[in-house]
Amino acid sequence: MLFARGLTRIARSGYSRSRWILCYNEHQLLHNTNHFPAPIQSSGKVLGCRVIYSWVSSALSGVGQQAHHQRNSIDEEQLDPFSLVADELSILANRLRSMVVAEVPKLASAAEYFFKMGVEGKRFRPTVLLLMATALNLPTSRLPPDATVCTLSVELRTRQQCVAEITEMIHVASLLHDDVLDDADTRRGIGSLNFMMGNKLAVLAGDFLLSRACVALASLKNTEVVSLLATVVEHLVTGETMQMTTTSEQRCSMEYYMQKTYYKTASLISNSCKAIALLAGQTAEVSMMAFEYGKNLGLAYQLIDDVLDFTGTSTSLGKGSLSDIHHGIITAPILYAMEEFPELRVVVDQGFDNPANVNLALEYLGKSHGIQRTRDLARKHANLASAAIDSLPQNDDQDVQRSRRALVELTQRVITRTK
Amino acid sequence: MLFTRGLSRISRTGYNRRQWAFSSLRNNEQQLIQHYNHSLPPLHSSEEVWGFRVIHSLVSSALSGVGQQVHDQSSSVIEERLDPFSLVADELSILANNLRSMVVAKVPKLATAAEYFFKMGVEGKRFRPAVLLLMATALDVPMSIHPPDATVDTLPTELRSRQQCMAEITEMIHVASLCHDDVLDDADTRRGIGSLNFVMGNKIAVLAGDFLLSRACLALASLKNTEVVTLMATALKHLVNGETMQMTTATDQRYSMEYYMQKTYYKTASLISNSCKAIAILAGQTAEVSNSAYEYGKNLGLAYQLIDDVLDFTGTSTLLGKGSLSDIHHGIITAPILFAMEEFPELRAVLDRGFDNPANVDIALEYLGMSRGIQKTRELATKHANLASAAIYSLPKNDDNDVQESRRALVELTQRVITRTK
Repeated sequence: MLFARGLTRIARSGYSRSRWILCYNEHQLLHNTNHFPAPIQSSGKVLGCRVIYSWVSSALSGVGQQAHHQRNSIDEEQLDPFSLVADELSILANRLRSMVVAEVPKLASAAEYFFKMGVEGKRFRPTVLLLMATALNLPTSRLPPDATVCTLSVELRTRQQCVAEITEMIHVASLLHDDVLDDADTRRGIGSLNFMMGNKLAVLAGDFLLSRACVALASLKNTEVVSLLATVVEHLVTGETMQMTTTSEQRCSMEYYMQKTYYKTASLISNSCKAIALLAGQTAEVSMMAFEYGKNLGLAYQLIDDVLDFTGTSTSLGKGSLSDIHHGIITAPILYAMEEFPELRVVVDQGFDNPANVNLALEYLGKSHGIQRTRDLARKHANLASAAIDSLPQNDDQDVQRSRRALVELTQRVITRTK
Repeated sequence: MLFTRGLSRISRTGYNRRQWAFSSLRNNEQQLIQHYNHSLPPLHSSEEVWGFRVIHSLVSSALSGVGQQVHDQSSSVIEERLDPFSLVADELSILANNLRSMVVAKVPKLATAAEYFFKMGVEGKRFRPAVLLLMATALDVPMSIHPPDATVDTLPTELRSRQQCMAEITEMIHVASLCHDDVLDDADTRRGIGSLNFVMGNKIAVLAGDFLLSRACLALASLKNTEVVTLMATALKHLVNGETMQMTTATDQRYSMEYYMQKTYYKTASLISNSCKAIAILAGQTAEVSNSAYEYGKNLGLAYQLIDDVLDFTGTSTLLGKGSLSDIHHGIITAPILFAMEEFPELRAVLDRGFDNPANVDIALEYLGMSRGIQKTRELATKHANLASAAIYSLPKNDDNDVQESRRALVELTQRVITRTK
């Protein structure tokens, strides 16, 4: 609870860093976390799992290099999920860049386009996956006595990092192809690749990333993981097609919408969470928990995304970008509003080329509980995600616990963010 | 030798079926025919295709429009020609049906788009699956070395299913790349009918390609063989590389034979070579045998593309300029021109000017006609075809009739690839 309130304050204060006076009950939390565990693994500095607490207050955006901050002051109370894995993320980003260097330079620059600083986005998915990897570490005592603990752990971590890279490649490939589809002019604030380099190169760059992802997948030598991530690609495609080809009936169906949302947003993160668990040698039950976390986190994320498209940085309507409605994409708030005001359906069917229709729809939305119900649904999914983490097998390791807390933290951030 | 000459005659006469007088056969071929001339009992239990009926037909179309015409049984002693496609015709039908059902999606429009390429009439030659199925038979582990307690009946069947799956995967990857290539090329037609992107739009074409790719990956994963997954991932990577090489060549690279062969390997030969190797690996063959399978696929693919390049100039006649000339009009410099440039360096200046101006095309064709470009390309194709045949001959000896027949069919294919006229 405190975390959530603290975060809201942080979020509202923007990008500044501030220190918070400790509250009594959080003292205890800090005692446990305020030490540097000896590196379990020998290689790669990120595997030392240094405790990194920072005061980066931007909720989810522009974390990038700002997160690169070490503090071990007793003042630190806020758990910033992104800073926990910041170092690893850098290494991952660099590896991605070198992985996409192809024999054909022109394509490498096209693919790198999306991995450059400034367009990297929040690296949300890799963060979740790396945290999940730590959260699912098997207790050291359960490893076979003659196992070279160091090498095994290092190798496992590398493989899990590879999953994070693959996930990001698949995600970016789908963005590239989606941009071709949507004739999008901008993506992540700068000129989209297709706008600048033409549809053809965008298609090719997307294929390039997909093919590299396949090669990386193959290198993991785990066919179940291959299946999971191949399913993801299929879902992404299905989701996009569902969005492109809806009938009037389907557009107004909450069920259809949730299914599409799962395919487009949640499937990638849920299946890759599951892959992380499988690589870690976890049981089917635990793997399902990881899946459920990812799925519910993804759904919650998208639902709030839908809300923010209407509300933007204010709680009142119409301050958002309204891009969904202008593209004729009917999202959860409108769907809920239609349940309360069936006459809204007529407006929806007419389409939104006419701005008057947009205003009319916003009116209905304002009168309805659409926004609130969407937030409620998002919260429900966020709680399901937290519950999944809480149901993971007990593990007393500090890093494991901290990562799990960070994952829970993320579920809160996802629903309280304002951008 | 006779095969080749016979085939040239066959292809020139078009789609007719002929029965050739037995008397023209030489002695050594009579023995060959006698081997063919009985119905083999089914080696495997399930499904009629396992009966391995010996199907000889005299379908004379070399490689195109084989489709359903091939479905003809005849055990007359007069038949001498080995038609590779008829050997696997039944399996190919099943494969086509499997492909169709495999791509059925929850979203009908996408299924329609993906199915587009698996409909009769646009199926193309099903060349790759035919090669793979023949290779699968050619590599069958002889019955005698099965472990005594193995369930002889079920093992081969499961193995065969996996190899069929391999053929399906290869076809899906191939079709996916076609969908995207057509978007890249703004193509209006593909295989004689409206291309997918032309008919349904770029958007659906891109999605359909992605969809097929994901299905292929799923099927790959189901084989539970990580070496095979790696091979096909590599093939996929090569396809993208090849297309990229074609799109983004610097001037120097365009005129390099080495660059061209590398690109050709990536675009055409890699898929078939790696899937041949995958077939061998699934069959549990040694590394040496797997490499022979790879070499067959690679050289077959290269030979195929080189003749493709020639035909683009010559079409159905041996004279220049009767072909579609689509390569040169797209500014794609292929082997014949590259060879011509070696003889006539001044041709390079013509090429630098580009081919938007039809006069330039004519000049280039003139140079080509004066040069030995076409001939040298054919020779190179023959060289690769022979390498492919050699790879088959280097396979471990095997007395099984089906195995021998499939191997002969594979050798036959190397000949057809270089003697075809369309």
